[in-house]
Amino acid sequence: MEVRKGSSQDPNSAKYKLNQIAAKAYSDAQAAKERGEKVGWCASNFPVELPETLGIPVCYPENQAAGIAARGQGEKLCSIAEDEGYSNDICAYARISLAYAKIKDEPAQNMPMPDFMLCCNNICSCMTKWYENLSKELDIPLIMIDIPFNPDNEVSRDEIEYVKAQFLEAVRQLEEITGKKWSDERFREVMANSCRTSRAWLEATALAAARPSPFNGFDLLNHMAVMVTARGKPEAAEAMELLAREYRENIENGTSTFRAEEKYRIMFEGIACWPWLRVTSTGLKSRGINMVSTIYADAFGFIYDDFDGMIEAYCKVPNAINLETARDKRVRLCNNIGVDGLLVHTNRSCKLWSGFMPEMSRQIGEACGIPVVSFDGDQADPRNFSEAQYDTRVQGLTEIMASRKAGE
Amino acid sequence: MEVREILDVFRAADPAALKEKYLAEGRKIVLTAPVYTPEEIIHSMGLVPMGVWGADVLLKRSKRYFPAFICSVVQSIVELGMRGTYDGASAIVIPSLCDSLKVVGQNWKYAVPGIPFIPMTYPQNRASEAGRAFTKAGYLRVIRDLEAATGAKFSAQALADSIKIYNEHNALMRRFGREAGKYLSAADRSAVFKSAFFMPKEEHAALVKKLLAALEGEKPLSGPSVVTTGILADSPAILAKLDELGLRIAADDVAAESRQYRTDAPETGDPLDALAAKFAGMGCCSVLLDPEKRRADLIVDSVRETGASGVLALQTEFCDPEEFDYVIIKKACAAAGIPLLAVEVDRQMANFGQAETMLEAFSERLG
Ligand code: SF4
Ligand code: SF4
Repeated sequence: MEVRKGSSQDPNSAKYKLNQIAAKAYSDAQAAKERGEKVGWCASNFPVELPETLGIPVCYPENQAAGIAARGQGEKLCSIAEDEGYSNDICAYARISLAYAKIKDEPAQNMPMPDFMLCCNNICSCMTKWYENLSKELDIPLIMIDIPFNPDNEVSRDEIEYVKAQFLEAVRQLEEITGKKWSDERFREVMANSCRTSRAWLEATALAAARPSPFNGFDLLNHMAVMVTARGKPEAAEAMELLAREYRENIENGTSTFRAEEKYRIMFEGIACWPWLRVTSTGLKSRGINMVSTIYADAFGFIYDDFDGMIEAYCKVPNAINLETARDKRVRLCNNIGVDGLLVHTNRSCKLWSGFMPEMSRQIGEACGIPVVSFDGDQADPRNFSEAQYDTRVQGLTEIMASRKAGE
Repeated sequence: MEVREILDVFRAADPAALKEKYLAEGRKIVLTAPVYTPEEIIHSMGLVPMGVWGADVLLKRSKRYFPAFICSVVQSIVELGMRGTYDGASAIVIPSLCDSLKVVGQNWKYAVPGIPFIPMTYPQNRASEAGRAFTKAGYLRVIRDLEAATGAKFSAQALADSIKIYNEHNALMRRFGREAGKYLSAADRSAVFKSAFFMPKEEHAALVKKLLAALEGEKPLSGPSVVTTGILADSPAILAKLDELGLRIAADDVAAESRQYRTDAPETGDPLDALAAKFAGMGCCSVLLDPEKRRADLIVDSVRETGASGVLALQTEFCDPEEFDYVIIKKACAAAGIPLLAVEVDRQMANFGQAETMLEAFSERLG
């Protein structure tokens, strides 16, 4: 079999390397657990620099839940949680994770059971409740970094001070639990890696500005796993740099991983519908629509120079910022990349992300002069998505984009 | 005054009429959203805090801002704001204690631009020194915004005085919470709690004091009782059903009721520090970090202390903080052998029939 250059089977490709890194995050944690080390479960926007500096293995329940959902087991695990008494209203990642904590074995994506929880609620308050429940049910310590939703445009000094004290306390707790020691020198390395990975990610995602874009936006959903789980590791930085190189080559060669004619370019808003990934991706591709931009491009740009800078970066993650700041970030992305429309996933799981989206997307549409269409879905519970509605909405968006192009 | 006459005053506390009265008196009104806001500060600045916890209204205009799966408490607040129900108020203070409260603040700015939005940002790690400092910073910000929105001035001395008034009211409400179950119907009990959000604190406290004195001569009610838990317990349909079934409310762990009054601020030292210390001391609530889930223990304990026969969990639809806690509460009740019934409530109560049947069966079980 011929292995296409840049494909996931080509061991020299960024895609292959990134997949390996994501998989290794799980196997490393498993191996550490088997060696008798203490392992944590960690929120996706927890400052990974802390466990990474301390050399503490962690796993990411959100990543696991996405994997389980993408492999078709979301409904099964959601139902197990519902049988426990969890409402089907609760975020499906949380339901899947709480179910996993009960059954402790799901071949779609296993991971070692935790000895402690690392919670950071900068992406939602739901996270606080979810980790509280896991910590209570599993009777393990909860290390809580509380980063409140910021109603203002800037991060205040008061907030930095509050969060800093918690970072230091988290390090102290982790040292106590694991017996490992913090090293400033090691932190500087991790910080450098994390910034290097983030820079490469920002660079790669910004290359979508080329026409046609050198990549299919759905690739990013896949590579994001590395940004979540491994951005402090040198191999992640290398693989991301390789990805950016490949995308640049694609531009030079006039090729793309979007294997269709790129007739329209859109921004996609929200988490992917993991159980319906193929359907949602085909619905776009078949119409020549490439998703060239998502907020994830911006979300993992953790670039900073020191400890305080790191704190500020974690205070500014997408779900922790006010409507205006969130809007302006997207408007900037849309303008820089160049898009013809905005497709919004009204995600049943995510109250925070979807709760002011109607107003924000209206404002983005106006500011960028692009049509905005939304569809109902869920990142991990397949029951909250309708293929027919998705198709109708995407068709509607396509028609508006087509008529605008015709009028240009 | 007789018990009935006093209760009539509580029941007559109509927020719309009171709002007009305060405005006619030239007073400025500040709306306070769930779950906790620093009312003492508002009070101390000579402003009238009025609680807004939504209402049983049809959601129409708010749909422009919210997807359907956001709780009807926050949706109906915006609905009423857009309808003009709150017109005349000088500001609204909204804390960001749950995801729905975070989004309501953002939507408010565009949905109800005439009433300034004042955010109150609380820490979850609230007891540490850094947590208290952050709470205090949040209060200072509220003060700045209140001064800008109303022209009123803050003074530490006035806050110290307001804290005393609030502490006294807290103590009375705690006593009332214990006594009400012995003598009052669920609907009457609710009217006393609810009116506290609209009436001036001093007046409310004086009336509760009178009521408590009048109740001393009353004959206690008999029959089974429950401990209620949830965000709200003011659905007239549910209350009427409880009364029809003769189920008393022995105690509550309801956010809009007793959770408001559990903790006092110290009456010494800097009053803003005292208020931050109050928040640090709060807990056993779905929107306040509680890794040990002491809330579940508190519910079990209050069943034991009051001799209640069961727990009634009134679950506000789409309220995820409560939905998470529910499972732990359910397990704690099961372990303690306490019967538990969960009834879903929303601000519309469209499918009340099912809730009625469940309450009937539960009441039979409690016998
Ligand atoms: S999907 Fe939304 S609610 Fe769920 S964990 Fe992510 S940010 Fe939180
Ligand atoms: S605590 Fe529950 S009822 Fe209250 S605003 Fe939040 S989601 Fe709504």
